[in-house]
Amino acid sequence: MNGAYYITAKALAEAGFDNIPEELVSSKHMIYSSPATLDFNSPGAKGFGVKRAGLVVPESVMLLVAPGCCGRNTALLNELGYNDKFFYLMLDDTDIVTGRYLKKIPKACAEITEELDYTPSAVMICVTCVDALLGTDMERVCRSSAEACGVPCVPAYMYALTREKRLPPMGLARKSIYSLLEPQKRRSNECAIMGFFSALDDRCEIYELLKRAGIKKVHEIGRCKTFEEYKQISRANFSLVLNSEARAAAQDMEKRLGIPFIELTRLYRLSKIHNQYRLLGQAIGAELDDSEFYDEAFDTIEQFKARHGEVSFAVGECLNADSFELALALCEYGFRVAEIYGTVGERNFVFIKKLAEVSPETRIYSNLSPTMMNYERECEINVCIGTDAAYYHKDLPSVSWSGEEQPFGHRAVTILFKELDTAVTEGRAVKI
Amino acid sequence: MSTLLKHISPLAPDDSGACSVLYEMGGIVVICDAGGCAGNVCGFDEPRWHFKRSALFSAGLRDMDAILGRDDRLVEKLVKVTKQVDAEFTAIVGTPVPAVIATDFHALERMSERRSGLPCIAIPTDGTRLYDYGEQLAYTELFRRFAEDGHEPKKGRLGILGATPLNTGLIYSDSLKEAAKEMGYDEAVCFGLDSGLDEVKRAAECERLLVISPSGIKAAEYLNKRFGTPFEVSYPCLSEDVKQSVSTLSGKKVLVINQQFAANALRDEIHGCEVDCATWFMLDKRYAAGNDFRIKDENVLRERIEQNGYDVIISDPDLWRAMKGHDAQLIPFPHYAVSAELSEIRNKN
Repeated sequence: MNGAYYITAKALAEAGFDNIPEELVSSKHMIYSSPATLDFNSPGAKGFGVKRAGLVVPESVMLLVAPGCCGRNTALLNELGYNDKFFYLMLDDTDIVTGRYLKKIPKACAEITEELDYTPSAVMICVTCVDALLGTDMERVCRSSAEACGVPCVPAYMYALTREKRLPPMGLARKSIYSLLEPQKRRSNECAIMGFFSALDDRCEIYELLKRAGIKKVHEIGRCKTFEEYKQISRANFSLVLNSEARAAAQDMEKRLGIPFIELTRLYRLSKIHNQYRLLGQAIGAELDDSEFYDEAFDTIEQFKARHGEVSFAVGECLNADSFELALALCEYGFRVAEIYGTVGERNFVFIKKLAEVSPETRIYSNLSPTMMNYERECEINVCIGTDAAYYHKDLPSVSWSGEEQPFGHRAVTILFKELDTAVTEGRAVKI
Repeated sequence: MSTLLKHISPLAPDDSGACSVLYEMGGIVVICDAGGCAGNVCGFDEPRWHFKRSALFSAGLRDMDAILGRDDRLVEKLVKVTKQVDAEFTAIVGTPVPAVIATDFHALERMSERRSGLPCIAIPTDGTRLYDYGEQLAYTELFRRFAEDGHEPKKGRLGILGATPLNTGLIYSDSLKEAAKEMGYDEAVCFGLDSGLDEVKRAAECERLLVISPSGIKAAEYLNKRFGTPFEVSYPCLSEDVKQSVSTLSGKKVLVINQQFAANALRDEIHGCEVDCATWFMLDKRYAAGNDFRIKDENVLRERIEQNGYDVIISDPDLWRAMKGHDAQLIPFPHYAVSAELSEIRNKN
């Protein structure tokens, strides 16, 4: 039996992006659904998978059209109050062979809208690998369904088979949820924040900075309680895209609604955050003075270091950060990062190269590798960040850093280090 | 529309059932999917995932693997994992993806065996059927492939079939073994629960078989035919909470909903009432009373409740939403394949 596979940052950087070892490439091996990976291995899984994401549109309901197995774990969402929002059109083998279920979808939508004691804003029709393979024309199905039930029907593609495509399921989901917006007169003092299904943390400084720049209203889909509020998003003068998976949605909004977008990245290196705000200010024609937030984050890091020393971290990927960028930030702040459990891609390889310079011995593991079922700790780790890292080290202090309120900017760094301080001081671990 | 679920979530599917039987067998089990089905199994239908380690993997199929039928890549990945993880056999469990592309599972078995040198079994589930069907396929295939001739029956050894968490809500076999002792047996083996492939190989050593779910009947019949092992059906693991909750019922018209043998066992605990049993899963007429019925969909359930005017309905609380508007007394009787709740009683909301 092999131990868990890992490669050091130095060795990986030297090998280069074109020579990533097979154990770090998910298409080259079986996938281990470690308890740590379950919340992202499936686009229908916990957190905001396609199913829950589709229902971000206020007052919408979802019809899942699939074999029973695809909708089974949806019951997990019942705990979050989604019981009355999901409906299932169950496919059998004859449905799949003959395609007869396509005619049932409009009827099902009509039956659902009749059953409800309110008129939903939309029926999100969620389809799965079956329709990915059959090549179902969902636009057409949705048109027929909308005619049958009298409310807009929107496709939600839960295509696990296409997870590594240019437009993966979560990118398509983002595009779908903004597709009900209609053109209207834009307002110069309003903007939209895109990228997440839930809202940014209220403490995030971006609100204050935008306010100082004259923005009076920031639209976020995660804050919309009603469909009326949702429709106001298209009043935005511009969009800020904080997650690259929302790029396709933003491009679509630019094309359909004329709303241009600016892409920002969630970072944990203060100097880079500052630089990003400077560039944003230039783009919108305002000077964004982020110095107080920068200083606050810097001081929090220094206080943490003074109290706990140069601790050694394990950084996972079930968290609100890019694992490698966060690890790089921690190293640049003077801490050690012993291990990272992450997915290496083209976008984050640049961080790995920099990490190799400041922390060449950092071990990089893939949560998805079958060898991870044999994982055992072999080096010194003091504290973990991420639910997956916490799973591997249940005996160590940890923070999950995967809450629904999305951290961003300097305040993300401040809040993270405050949570880390509490975890280390109290020896508190994430409950797995 | 009969195939539309408006009140309940989908029930445990056949691929989860197959995995449940294979989970502790010591093999490498590959769910032939893109990731979502394995996520459903490991993250929802398999409560042992957080307590007992198992080499259960997703094949991680991508669209071009399916479109081009790249079975060789699947086998290549399977062989690779056999070099990383110790195993006695490999198993491939079907999902909707191989069903859509009509994967030749027998060919996959042969290719895998030739390349890995390990026996391979393929369970052709497709995700459209229910868990008991998958369990039935897995049990029969396991015994067909691995049960050995030449073992003499041992007096006092009981073999228990159907002991999966999906059927019982149990993740350890202690209570079943205790029940076997109370029935007069010296030892009991719960195939697939706290036991592995060795027990399957030595299945002929069982003096008698106890089948606690309809999903184990076919395997019992197979073992009976091959080794002459007699079997009986029963469900000796009703929780005390459930028994207690029905102890005061009298003069009522009662409906019990669960897997057939669990429902039958609870019926035996209810006295002075008219009791019917119903199940969403397999209903074996040999073990059913005259008014027992199979629930094909939500409409059937509501119609039968209306028609028969039950005073008391005993079922998994997740089914209660489908009974809205009916004023029967509701008593919880958790069934893991419905709600994925372990055996504890939940209070009525």
